[in-house]
Amino acid sequence: MKTFEYTITDPVGIHARPAGLLVKAVKACDSAVTITTKDGKSADAKKLLALMGLGIKQGDTITVSVDGGSEDASAAAIEKFLKENL
Amino acid sequence: MNWTADEAAKTFFEEREVEMALDYHKCAQEIVNNIGGRENVAQAAHCATRLRLVIKDNDKINKEALDNIEGVKGMFESNGQLQLIIGTGTVNKVYDEFLAITGMTAATKDDVKKAAAAKQPVWKQMLKTLGDVFVPILPAIVASGLMMGIVEALGKAIPSFSSSDWYGFLDLISNTAFAYLPVLVAISAARVFGGNIFLGAVVGLAMVHSALANAWSAGSADMVFDVWYLFGPNAPKLGSWVIGQVQQKGYQGHVIPVIIAVFIMSKLEAWLHKHIPEMIDLFVVPLCTIFVTLFITFTFIGPIFSQLETWVLTGAEWLVQNPIGACAMGALYPWTVVMGLHHMYNIIEAGMLASTGLNTWMPIASAANFAQFGACLAVGIKSKNAKTKSVAVPSSLSAALGITEPAIFGVNMRFFKPFICGMIGGMAGALFGALPRATALGATAYGVTGIPGYLTINQPLTYTLLLLISCGIAFALTWILWSEEAPETEKKTTAVQTTPEVGNLADAGSNVPLGLGVCVIRSSAGDIMKPINGDVIPYNKIPDPTFASGALGQGVGIEPRGGDIVYSPCEGTISSVAESKHAVGITGPNGQEILVHVGIDTVDMNGDGFVDYVKEGDKVKAGQPLVKFDQEKIKKAGHSSVVVLLLTNSDDYDDVRYGENLNN
Repeated sequence: MKTFEYTITDPVGIHARPAGLLVKAVKACDSAVTITTKDGKSADAKKLLALMGLGIKQGDTITVSVDGGSEDASAAAIEKFLKENL
Repeated sequence: MNWTADEAAKTFFEEREVEMALDYHKCAQEIVNNIGGRENVAQAAHCATRLRLVIKDNDKINKEALDNIEGVKGMFESNGQLQLIIGTGTVNKVYDEFLAITGMTAATKDDVKKAAAAKQPVWKQMLKTLGDVFVPILPAIVASGLMMGIVEALGKAIPSFSSSDWYGFLDLISNTAFAYLPVLVAISAARVFGGNIFLGAVVGLAMVHSALANAWSAGSADMVFDVWYLFGPNAPKLGSWVIGQVQQKGYQGHVIPVIIAVFIMSKLEAWLHKHIPEMIDLFVVPLCTIFVTLFITFTFIGPIFSQLETWVLTGAEWLVQNPIGACAMGALYPWTVVMGLHHMYNIIEAGMLASTGLNTWMPIASAANFAQFGACLAVGIKSKNAKTKSVAVPSSLSAALGITEPAIFGVNMRFFKPFICGMIGGMAGALFGALPRATALGATAYGVTGIPGYLTINQPLTYTLLLLISCGIAFALTWILWSEEAPETEKKTTAVQTTPEVGNLADAGSNVPLGLGVCVIRSSAGDIMKPINGDVIPYNKIPDPTFASGALGQGVGIEPRGGDIVYSPCEGTISSVAESKHAVGITGPNGQEILVHVGIDTVDMNGDGFVDYVKEGDKVKAGQPLVKFDQEKIKKAGHSSVVVLLLTNSDDYDDVRYGENLNN
């Protein structure tokens, strides 16, 4: 398993649209991806509603865990997506 | 009979099964018989499924008998209303019979009002449209009107000022809204008629295009306008008018031709959208809309109005020859303002000054204008509605300075009675002004009326009397004859806001979406119903690239019509509610992940204008209210209020269908 941290810069946080894009990016990977917030809530990044339910806002730091498949490539792809979009 | 939340939600769907062959008259008659007759009913209205009655004395109601009437599926009392469940498609017919039997008139619920509006005589509907178009642009023209009055007065009072740079500058900014009034009117009208506002703006701009001669300069009577002959100068004629003839003259100051043009545009645009394949829609629709609209406007509407202008001018010149005619002119004058024909009068005034050195037209115009001021002021003082007051008072001031458009369009015409009172006041004032006396009352220049008129009038004392007569009569008549309609619907809305519990769903009244019960997304996992009444568009037509791309799943958008509450489209568990209240995620019984998102980009409103009725973890039933939104606020924030309904995990199913109505 590979994990990394990321701090959200998008002013609206992980709201519907950005969340949808994130789900899309995660679905393109072959790993299971979990996102965990500072207060310990976590969600499967392939599930849009679960992701939105985390209520992640600008300035929040999230932990992204990548498990299985080609972990390195997946983690790199997701980190790149986050930096570009969130 | 007590209702639980679940039952309330359930009946939304069940009530749609309308019993056939119900004798509406009999049903209504039995209702009347069992509620203590006509005398015991204070108000009657209906929503999608219920007949809602405000009863004076509840003791006179025979509840048992009511419940047993054929056609009445249930009844309960709530918020002082007796509500009889009758059913969609039936309740309106029973209601009509109910009104016929009791002789009552339709009550105050919004939808009832709308239905009543449709039955209003054409002229009333037209006045209402005129008001709807003008109210949004009032701030612009009130500001302009006041400033124009002041600047013009200063220009007349201090001759050196009128040649100063300041005057030129102030003149420019003060008359902008009037010089380009057709553009403002066109944009507002496009909104009212549902056309694209930018196409509306193009129509308005074309009508005052700088390549056309300015209609205001028509003041110099010998001005000849160039003409285009679209079908050649020898095309068939109607009278002296060659078909396809376009006078190269703008529509500055015009209102009615612009509204007609934009009306045609909006209808045409809607028709084309329906009939043109989506692929070429953007190429074809705007182009055809603009071309056809402007062609019709310049070749047909334009000539009709220039003909009208000529007649009005000739008629006015003839009328003001004697006191009786002047009196008639005092009454008719505001109508010519409504038609946008009044700017022609400079020609008469200039003519009078040239021949006799005295402008006797000006007192008539002043009487007419000052009467509108009086009527508008009466509305401003008498009205209890803060909004009406805030429009009427400044509008009346502008009218006192001689710029009457804000008062006429924004206030007097809308309520109509004040307008008529103004006509009577103007009539009296004009008659007084034209009475034979040693020296005729008149002005030594033209261009100003009302209070600034003192600068050019030859007999200030008589002029004062004239103003007092016109304004006084108009004010007094308006004060007596006009009374405000009670804003009852607003109260109702607040009541709903304070009682968001599901049990009171019934109180949402007219907000109950008629569309509920219509399936819009269907898959093997279950049906997803329409959450609000309105037009359904496929997700790829939602005006937002992300939603339209399908990245968030397949589904539909609904352009809300009439309602302001979004209901749950299926049963499930609330999995998320956005902090900004505008989006709700629901997990359905078979794992469906459904996103209900109110409006586009509404996240930036931070919850302002939204009330949420559910929280994360709540179990909801189909038809239970989720979010209430304020369409006006969304509009003001510059967003689309399309309600997005997506099955976000549509990839998990291979049989997802979506559309307007999948019930069959």
